Amino acid sequence: MDTKILVLIPCYNEEENIVSTVERLKSTCPQVDFLVINDCSTDHSADILHAHHYPFLDLPVNLGIGGGVQCGYQYAVHNGYDVTIQMDGDGQHDPAYLMEVVQPVLDGTYDMCIGSRFIKKEGFQTSFMRRVGIRFLSWLIHLLCGKRVLDVTSGFRACNARMTAYFARHYAIDYPEPEAILAASLAGFSVGEAPVIMRERQGGVSSIHSFKSAYYMIKVSLALIIDRFSIHKVKGGKA
Amino acid sequence: MTPELQLFMVLGALVLLCIIFTLLKRGLMSVKYSLLWLLLAVALVIAAAFPYVIYVLRDILSIEMPVNLVFLLMFCFVLVVLLSLSIAITQLAEKCKRLTQANAILEKRVRELEEKNR
Repeated sequence: MDTKILVLIPCYNEEENIVSTVERLKSTCPQVDFLVINDCSTDHSADILHAHHYPFLDLPVNLGIGGGVQCGYQYAVHNGYDVTIQMDGDGQHDPAYLMEVVQPVLDGTYDMCIGSRFIKKEGFQTSFMRRVGIRFLSWLIHLLCGKRVLDVTSGFRACNARMTAYFARHYAIDYPEPEAILAASLAGFSVGEAPVIMRERQGGVSSIHSFKSAYYMIKVSLALIIDRFSIHKVKGGKA
Repeated sequence: MTPELQLFMVLGALVLLCIIFTLLKRGLMSVKYSLLWLLLAVALVIAAAFPYVIYVLRDILSIEMPVNLVFLLMFCFVLVVLLSLSIAITQLAEKCKRLTQANAILEKRVRELEEKNR
């Protein structure tokens, strides 16, 4: 295969999951390159990555998921990758569905393709309250840019080279997934979804705790509304 | 305003001006951030030396007590300083993020070169 594909795996304190995630990726999709982004983990993640000789970026200070993933996008731009995929390091995203997310991007159907658990409604569907929150953000994004995306918080997404270059320059810091969809749509990129089945996280703790979710909703909603005004709408993806 | 209080105010404003100059001279504050403070210090010296300015302003804005006008102006000034600090912090955070990312990408290259040469 001629196209160079890079899988970004953000990793913050994932010592329990990271090895199984990477090994599963290597056995399921041996044709793709991968890069773990260690966001200054406070556990033994870095030692584990060293010991297994996995390719990884070691951030000297904690930047949060957005800053870490953006670093991965910059690496992809430097090394001329055609497709960049983001996949969580906690075992929620099954590499078996990797190519289904990548295929629409390879075919040129979308600039960014998001792995969505809500199209076929199979597998782990997350808690009721989170589904309400996700539905609200989905509605808000639809209202702000006219684009309907169901699984707006999914971190399982593939981007082509142009989209990757855009994210290498502009990417939100804290909870970037919904903002990235809106920014991409407003900047004229085509965004779509592919059905995937997700699992419940295998171990460790999620980055979004229940008591933080109200803060999360307010912050993301505000960020989305501000983005709508700060990013000038482009037709046809010239950004 | 009693002459004693006026003298005290003028001295205080001059001391603030001196402090800002010293900070600038020693490089503890950059000129960029000192402009707001210099503006304040000069305004304080003028207001203390010529309270007439405050009385005129008070009449224009029809505020009963001159001191309330002073408080209002000081509060506005503090707001502006806080806003400018928030802007400065945001810019610094963005630069810090870019540096961290560039550093991480370089670190990976160095690590791989070292492994290759071993």
